[in-house]
Amino acid sequence: MTDDREKRRLDNTIMEGLRSMPEVDPPKGFSARVMENLEPKRPSAWTRFRLWLTEPRSVTFTPVRMIPVFAAAMVLLVLGFYAMDTNDSGNGMRMSTIRFVLNDSGMNARTVAVIGSFNSWQAHDAAMRFDDATGAWVLEAQLPPGDHEYMFLVDGQKLMADPLAQMTRDDGFGNRNSIVFVNGTYEQAL
Amino acid sequence: MRMDESREVESIRKVLLGDVQAFEFLVRKYQGPVYNLMLRNVGEGDMAADLAQEAFLRAYQRLETFKTGKRFFPWLYTLSLNVARDWLRSKGRDIHVYMENAAVMVRDEDRPDTQTQLNDRLDGGKAFEFVMRLDPKYREALILRFRHDFSMQEIASALGITVSGAKMRISRGLEMIRHQFKEVSNDR
Repeated sequence: MTDDREKRRLDNTIMEGLRSMPEVDPPKGFSARVMENLEPKRPSAWTRFRLWLTEPRSVTFTPVRMIPVFAAAMVLLVLGFYAMDTNDSGNGMRMSTIRFVLNDSGMNARTVAVIGSFNSWQAHDAAMRFDDATGAWVLEAQLPPGDHEYMFLVDGQKLMADPLAQMTRDDGFGNRNSIVFVNGTYEQAL
Repeated sequence: MRMDESREVESIRKVLLGDVQAFEFLVRKYQGPVYNLMLRNVGEGDMAADLAQEAFLRAYQRLETFKTGKRFFPWLYTLSLNVARDWLRSKGRDIHVYMENAAVMVRDEDRPDTQTQLNDRLDGGKAFEFVMRLDPKYREALILRFRHDFSMQEIASALGITVSGAKMRISRGLEMIRHQFKEVSNDR
């Protein structure tokens, strides 16, 4: 403990000695000697632009004057939320929620999926849930505007057209695909 | 940012935009530490002044490479150290082995007399003399840390070593000075 105290005392002495260490003044006229050898710089356009970008600027903040700014910010925020709620696909295309429904009607299906042109006719991630209240298989999906062909895949093997679809199209293999039109302006239920 | 640093930044901006006179503020502000750095390393006033002038000239020429947002002094100090190293190498000397008796640069009025040394061996002046006798690689690290308040990162950058290397040099430097104090104490 005593050694530690002595060490700290010495360290403080050393630090203080360094802080107050004497410095020799440079020769008289030193700065003038330096300056007389310097030529003014000729900044490039890029340097000027970079310096302009990083130039410190003072900003005055007056709470009363900020009210319109806050109001505008709130409007933008609300519009932003609204825009998010319209389910933009990310590529500028507005998505619509489509509700697929298939009445079980005594099929006693174990699984039902919606496969179609919008999911490359793949059953994964397209499984419908069974709604006990209505006795129907249900799936809500986000689809872009346009017409989409689809089928129900029952128990992983049986393809079935949508009995409620307003239009069908021949698939060229003897089956008829159901078609859903999505206009992008409102939600649709099939 | 402190007012002083703000003025530095403004001076640098002006210089880069072609106002050569704005550089004089930086020269006047840092001529002392840069000149003394050279003096510690070459031990002779005229040569130290020439090297300090060369350091400022080099800083002016390379000012475009200085990153605004960083402290100017560590950047200038690093550059000045390189000027000193270049000169020492050109003379066949190395900054790490030079300065056997650096205390020669202490002004007479700052040098404690014999009686004072005997009576008060732990004063700051004594510590300074011990620091000046150190191998320059430890001496400069201690001066940068405790005289110029450099961060460990800034010391590492100025001396061209790692941060852990900078910590080691300061720790080792302090240890060597403590040892010298003990030796003086034992000699009494």
